[in-house]
Amino acid sequence: MTKRITIDPITRIEGHLRVDVEVENNAVSDAWASCTMWRGIERILQGRDPREAWLFTQRFCGVCTTVHALASVRAVEDALKLEIPANAQYIRNLILINHGLHDHTVHFYHLSALDWVDVLEIPKADPAKTSALAESISPWTGNSRNQMKAAQDKVKGVAASGQLGIFTNGYWGHPQMRLDPNVNLLAFSHYLQALEYQRKANQVVGMLGGKTPHIQNLTVGGVSNAINLDSQATLGLERLESIRVLMDEVTSFVQQVYFVDACAIAAFYPDWLRIGGGVRNYMAVPDLPMDAAATTFDLPGGYILDGNLASVKPFQRAADQTFRDGVTEDVTHAYYEGRKPLHPWRGETVPQVTEWEGDKKYSWVKAPRFQGKPMQVGPLAQVLIGYAQGHPLTRKWTDKALDTVSAVSGRKATIHDIQSTMGRHLARAIRAAMLSELATRHWQFLMDNIARGDTAIHNNPLFPSGEIEGVGTHEAPRGTLSHWVVVDGGKIRNYQAVVPSTWNASPRDNAGTPGPYEASLLRNPIADPEKPLEVIRTIHSFDPCMACACHTFDSSGMPHATVRVL
Amino acid sequence: MKRILIAGVGNILLGDDGIGPYVVRKLAANYVFEEGVELEDLGTPALDFIDHIAGLDALIVVDAVKNGEAPGTIVLYGKAELLRHSPTLRMDPHSPALIESLMAADLFGQSPENVILVGIAGESYSPTCALSPAVAAAVDAAIRRILQLLDSLDVGFFRRFEEADPSIWWAEVGAADLA
Repeated sequence: MTKRITIDPITRIEGHLRVDVEVENNAVSDAWASCTMWRGIERILQGRDPREAWLFTQRFCGVCTTVHALASVRAVEDALKLEIPANAQYIRNLILINHGLHDHTVHFYHLSALDWVDVLEIPKADPAKTSALAESISPWTGNSRNQMKAAQDKVKGVAASGQLGIFTNGYWGHPQMRLDPNVNLLAFSHYLQALEYQRKANQVVGMLGGKTPHIQNLTVGGVSNAINLDSQATLGLERLESIRVLMDEVTSFVQQVYFVDACAIAAFYPDWLRIGGGVRNYMAVPDLPMDAAATTFDLPGGYILDGNLASVKPFQRAADQTFRDGVTEDVTHAYYEGRKPLHPWRGETVPQVTEWEGDKKYSWVKAPRFQGKPMQVGPLAQVLIGYAQGHPLTRKWTDKALDTVSAVSGRKATIHDIQSTMGRHLARAIRAAMLSELATRHWQFLMDNIARGDTAIHNNPLFPSGEIEGVGTHEAPRGTLSHWVVVDGGKIRNYQAVVPSTWNASPRDNAGTPGPYEASLLRNPIADPEKPLEVIRTIHSFDPCMACACHTFDSSGMPHATVRVL
Repeated sequence: MKRILIAGVGNILLGDDGIGPYVVRKLAANYVFEEGVELEDLGTPALDFIDHIAGLDALIVVDAVKNGEAPGTIVLYGKAELLRHSPTLRMDPHSPALIESLMAADLFGQSPENVILVGIAGESYSPTCALSPAVAAAVDAAIRRILQLLDSLDVGFFRRFEEADPSIWWAEVGAADLA
């Protein structure tokens, strides 16, 4: 018998996503992902000064502020063919890296770990054994028996109070929760510690960007951080050293805690390295340029079709011609007018509201396609594309992750295993470890460049009288982000943001081909349709962020998160 | 010294949702506060809201609310009232972040004791940088309510002789002067 489950919304993600699945014989047989909210804020940009667009775009989403700011200035610079100084590249890169480290850490511990870790099992743990286990797999100094005991006491206190607070509504005791109580405690103690380290990473963003959550140091043409090594008021030696200290602390946490925990949890759930693959076309744009002209990058980009790593095609430039020409958006199943897939520069956003109809229109998200195909984006795509190209840093951390998973699970894990729900978490941890190394590297690039006497931070943009088009790309924490701008006489005529979650949360297209969320849910086991933890695990593994929502406090007190089973 | 944050939250691109940032910037442009008081336009924070509230003595959040009241009506909500809501209110992403952040800060033992949400009933949340007239008309009243709250917290402030630039940059439509 077919059962229909509607989850509206998925909990613990930043946005408003609805998922419908059909369940047959305890597994998902069909799935639909919808965004239930209007995403048309790009229209606000029409007629505005392109030099100020980034101030607006960084308000698209409260979580992905810096990434939309950066993609915006890059789009305008691309339209102007404006190079930026090397210092500006490195300062921007340091912001991106630290934002990514903050974001990945929060996602793993605070937004998705509790899909795998049963908090209410923690009182049964033995802090001494937990500590011994932790110290056997990591040199981290925060794994003492006393620290484990303190974390356990916190949970005991919450459980005894009867007020679960932030742990209300978890699927505790679900048959899919299979960690040993000691492993649950270990992960939870790091959940507590992670809060401090994600904050340190965010502090670096603030020190370079002027403020968080909204950075203030970008310009079309570079950055506004005046550089003078001897001055405390500008970006000087003292501030650069403080940044380095913070980054070193974050690096230790990422490499000794986050990376190790992700490998351990993957090893304890080996079946989830086989579930949730879905769309096996992957795409990433190159990022972290190493020179002013952005000719070489520390994060490689490209695309892979049908999961065939040998077929990888690299993108040479940030906005490679293949990428520029290849992207379209289809609205067959989205609440917008139009039939033909349109290129983002010609993109239209005219709503056509209907009821939710799975075989007709059912989402506010458009269906982006690359060369007509749905693409999975995010850390998994980036890791696979780097790995397939033999990128040394990607190989180093991926092999280390696979070795660790193999050692803990006693079963050989391969690169193909990461094309899965758990693999997305693993890939994000691999990417975080890579970023932590690159943080030091780009900090050194900046120091060396300043030491050579180069203090340039900005090139002046000059707008021609006619129409120009540009695309700014960024490999953001959730994957490939692109901003597409058309400027006419110095004013914005059209602006479209194709965000990572649009690629992944995409509805079906005109050929009926499902998007990555939808495809990844097929054949997911469902132990209990009333508690669809498995669906939530797979969706959370993408790190969804709908980036579109209207943010208003609703005092009606109605229980909003609903799971309906029909 | 008491640590107090007055946080304007909301999306300035979505009509009346921008009232929080607007009020906080107007407040900062017209008043000077004693040491320890911070005013911030935080946009639409998610769980990173914890970083801004951890260890505060008092938190005043200014935000648009949907409570069925006439647009522009101001209603105050206390901490207990906010925490009664389920943390899975993920349909409106930052209200859960406000509540979840408070709950998480509680778990970490860093939650401010005093939390007050100054809620302003909105009318329209469509994409625009403009406030609807009824909500724009409530700005001065919202500022007075915040000053009363500060009085009750025994916090000193004085009015500037002249309004400083509130830098509500988003309200200026299509800036000019391109060489």
